[in-house]
Amino acid sequence: MSSEPIERRVSYLGDRLKASRCQICGKEFFEIRDYCSNCGRKSYMKMSSVDLFYEKGKLELCTLVTEPTNRFTKLETFVYGIVSFHEGKIRVPGRLTDQIIKPDETVDLAALEGREVIPRFRRRYSVNKADVVPTISLAFTLADEYYPHQEYTVSEQNKEYALPGIVGYGVYTSRFRIKEGNIERAVPFTDEDSVTAAVEAGKTALIHSGIDSANVGKVYVGSESNPYAVKPIASKVAQVLKLGEEEDDLQGVDAVDTEFACKAATSMLKDAAALVSYPGSGIKNAMVIGADNSQAAPRGCPGGELDLFVGYGGAAFVLGKRDVIAEIEGWYSVTSDTPDFWRRDGEPYPMHGGRFTGDPAYFKHVRKSVTKLMGRFSLKPHDVDYFVPHQPNPAFPVKVAKELGFRDEQYVCSLQVNKFGNTYSGCSPVGLAAVLDIARPEERILIASYGSGAGSDAYLLRTTNQLLDKRKRQKVTVKSLVENPFTQFVDYTTYRRLKAGM
Amino acid sequence: MQNFPAIVAVGRTKFGEHYGKEPEKLIEEAWLAASRECGVERKDLEACYMSDCFLPITNKLGLEEGFLSELTELHVPMEVTRSVSAALLTACHAIRSGAYNTVLVGGIEKMTDRWDKIRDDLMLLEDPWSYYAGCTPESNHELMLRAYTKKYGIAGGNLKKLNTALAQIAVKNHSHAAKNEYAQYQRKITVEQVINARKTARKSLGLYDFAPISDGASALILTNSEKAKQLTDKPISIFGVASATDYLNYPARDDLTHFSATKLAMINASKMSNVKPADIQVLQLYDQSTVAEMVSIEDLGFCEQGTAWKSIYDSCQDYKGYYEVQGKKLFTNLNGGLKADGNPLGATGGAQLFEIFKQLRGEAGARQATLDREPRYGCALEFEGFGTKSYVSILGRNHA
Repeated sequence: MSSEPIERRVSYLGDRLKASRCQICGKEFFEIRDYCSNCGRKSYMKMSSVDLFYEKGKLELCTLVTEPTNRFTKLETFVYGIVSFHEGKIRVPGRLTDQIIKPDETVDLAALEGREVIPRFRRRYSVNKADVVPTISLAFTLADEYYPHQEYTVSEQNKEYALPGIVGYGVYTSRFRIKEGNIERAVPFTDEDSVTAAVEAGKTALIHSGIDSANVGKVYVGSESNPYAVKPIASKVAQVLKLGEEEDDLQGVDAVDTEFACKAATSMLKDAAALVSYPGSGIKNAMVIGADNSQAAPRGCPGGELDLFVGYGGAAFVLGKRDVIAEIEGWYSVTSDTPDFWRRDGEPYPMHGGRFTGDPAYFKHVRKSVTKLMGRFSLKPHDVDYFVPHQPNPAFPVKVAKELGFRDEQYVCSLQVNKFGNTYSGCSPVGLAAVLDIARPEERILIASYGSGAGSDAYLLRTTNQLLDKRKRQKVTVKSLVENPFTQFVDYTTYRRLKAGM
Repeated sequence: MQNFPAIVAVGRTKFGEHYGKEPEKLIEEAWLAASRECGVERKDLEACYMSDCFLPITNKLGLEEGFLSELTELHVPMEVTRSVSAALLTACHAIRSGAYNTVLVGGIEKMTDRWDKIRDDLMLLEDPWSYYAGCTPESNHELMLRAYTKKYGIAGGNLKKLNTALAQIAVKNHSHAAKNEYAQYQRKITVEQVINARKTARKSLGLYDFAPISDGASALILTNSEKAKQLTDKPISIFGVASATDYLNYPARDDLTHFSATKLAMINASKMSNVKPADIQVLQLYDQSTVAEMVSIEDLGFCEQGTAWKSIYDSCQDYKGYYEVQGKKLFTNLNGGLKADGNPLGATGGAQLFEIFKQLRGEAGARQATLDREPRYGCALEFEGFGTKSYVSILGRNHA
C-alpha cells in the first residue's frame, strides 16, 4: 500500500513547482509555509505563493546517480543536483531528465553546473501497476536544449469574432526518435506518458494564446493511452495548468476525457466551439487536447504491425470567440460501427484488422466526411488552401488526398507522420498545428480526422490576421520539434524500453 | 564536583551481518557484556533508553520498549530514540535532574534484514523531497564535496591531493578496524582500491568512500557520579552533551558545504563541559562518507574551514595512528569509524562511546592511542539523517 497522505501532499505541491514568499521581509521558502522564519507570528496570513512553473532555474551543483534507489532504477543513470531560483533564494533538489547516459559514458558535471534549467512535469518514479501514478515537477531539462524557456504572459482578449475558433495552440513531442528507413518516430523518455504530453501541449497552447488559464471553463483530453482505465487525464491537466478559477485547491473547470480511437480529440473541437458560443455557458475559453504514447505490441506479436508507425506526442487547442486565429466555419461528422482497430479492456496493446483498416474503414469515412463538408459549403478542392488528412501511416493520407482531388502542395506540409509517427489522438491535430505554423491570414484549412471504430470529423477553418501576431510568441513549433538539433536517435530495444516507461 | 553522569561499563556486539540473530539477541549480548563488566544487574536499572532507527521497518517491531521489557523482565520507564547519542542525551538530563541513578542506554539495528530496500528507506527518511527527485544516500555527500571544492577554490594539484586525502580517510579507518575484533571489515584497503572504485562508479566518491549497511547492538550503563565511584575505579564522565537541528531538505539549507548543526552542537557541548577542541585527543566522527569525516573536523572547530584536507593529507603521508591538526595529535575513529567498524544506525553511537570509553581508560589494547599517558578527553559526533540532527558528546576521565 502506498502512503496515501504523503503521496497526496507531494502531488499537490510537486506537480507545479511552488514556493512561498514572506510579504513582509521577502524571504522565500521552497515549501509552502504559513510563517516566515524571520518574521514569525506577524507573517501569518502574509505569505504569498510563488509559482515557479513557468520560470527557469540554475543548476547549482550536480552529481551522477549510477545506482539509483529502487523506484528510480528504470531511469538507469541520471544527473541529480540542486537547482536554485531567484538568485539562490530558493533551492530545490532536482534531477535532469531526457538524458540517456550510457554505461561507459562519463559526464562533465562541471560543465552542467551553472546552466539554466526549466522545471518539467513528469512521472516521479515507478510504482506497482495498480497504484496511483505519482508525478512531480522536480525534473528539469536544460533551458537551451530542445525545450526553450517560454514566458507565459496573459494579454487582454480584445476583438470578438462572429464565429468561434482557435485562439491558440501548442504541440509537444519528446526529444527522442527512432529512425527506420525514411521514417522518424517520436519516442517518449522513460518518465513521460500521455498525461505529461497532454500537460506540455496544453502549457504551450496557453503561452501561445495568451489567455488567462482561469478563463478556461472546460478541458477535453482525447487519448487512447491513458495510464488509467478509470481516472481522467483531464483532471491532471486542469490542476497542473490551473485551468478555471482556483479556490481551495479546486479548479473551477469541467475536465473530461474522451475516447474514440484517433478522433477522440478532433471530435470535441465542435463541442468546445459550441460551448464558447453558447451565451448561457459563461465560458470564455475551452481547451481540446489530443495526446498519446501510441500503444503497439512488439513486432512479431499479434497487433505488432502497429509497432512500425506508432509515435508519441500531441497537440492542444484553445477555443474561444475573442482574438481568434482561425475561425471554425463548419463541420461534418460520420460514424459507423466498424471494428477495424480495437483494444479490449485490460489488454495492454490494441489489435488491428489488417487490410480491413483501409477501404471499408479509413478511406470510406474520410472520403464521406470531406465530400459532405465541401458539398455543404459548395467548395471544390482548389477552393481550400490546405488539406489536413488523418495520418496513421505515410501512404493512406496521400492516397485519400489524391482521390479527393487535392494537389501535393495543399496537403504535404501537414504530413508529420514521417517525423512524429502516428500519434493516435494527437495525429491529425499535429497536422493541423503544422499548417497553422505556416498559414497566412484569410486562408482556408480543411482537416479530416479518422477514428477507428469508426468515424471521421471534417472541419473547415478560416485563418484571421491575428495568426501572424501570435506566431511571434511561439518558440515551440512543429518545425522546431522536427528539426531540433538536440534530437537523439535510439535503437529498437531502447525505443521499446522507453515506451514502456516507468 | 558537579554531578556529571558517568559511564561505568560498555558492551557491544560485532557489527556486520547477523543472519542468525534476532534483534533481541543482539541487544541482550551487548547488555550482558556491560552488566558483567560492572556488576550492575537488570533489577538495578531504573530506566532504559534505547535507540533504533529502522526496527519498525526492518523487523516490524513497533513498540520496541515492550520487547525490552520482556527481555529484561523490567517494568521501569523506557524510551526509544533514533540514535544512541539521543538516548544518552536524554539519560544524562534525567540523571542530572536526579530522577534516576542508574540507567541503561542502548542501541540496536538490523538493516541487512531489508537489504534490498534499505537505501530507499534511508533516503526517504533522510530527506523525502530529495528522494522524490531521485537522490540516493550517496548523492548528498557528493554534492557537498562539489560545493566544498568550489567554495574553497580547490582545483588542479590541490584537488588531486584532496581526493587522495579522502581516500586515505577510508584507508586509515580500515587499518584501525583491522585491530578491532568487533569491526565489520577487519581488513586493510589501499588508496588505489578507493580510487578505482570511484572510477567504476564514474563519480567523485565510490564504494570505499561510504559506510556500509550493518547489524549490531551496543549498550552502556550510565549512573550519577556518586554511584559511579562505587561501581568502578575508572568511570568516564559525560561532561558535555548537546544537539542541534538543521533542515530535513539539504538543498534548502543555508550552508551546503558544512553541517551547521554540528557547529552549534559543539559550541553548546563545549560550553557545558568547559572543554575546548584543543583539549580533545580522541575523536569519533560520523563518517557516513569520507567527505563527512573531513568536513566534521572543521565543523567541530579543530581547524579552519577549507583546510582539514591538507592536515589529513599530510598526516597520512606517513600515518602514525593520528591526524596532526594544527600541531595537535587527533586520534580519529580508532575503532575504524562507520566506514570499517560498521554503521547499524541505532547502535552506531554506542560503538563510538564504547571506543572512547576504552581509550580513556587505557583498555583499547592494540588500538590504544599512544600518548605519554592515557588521553583525558574524547569527543563523539553522531548524526541522524544527513546532518539533520547532530549530537556532540564530550567525555573525560576523573581518575589520574
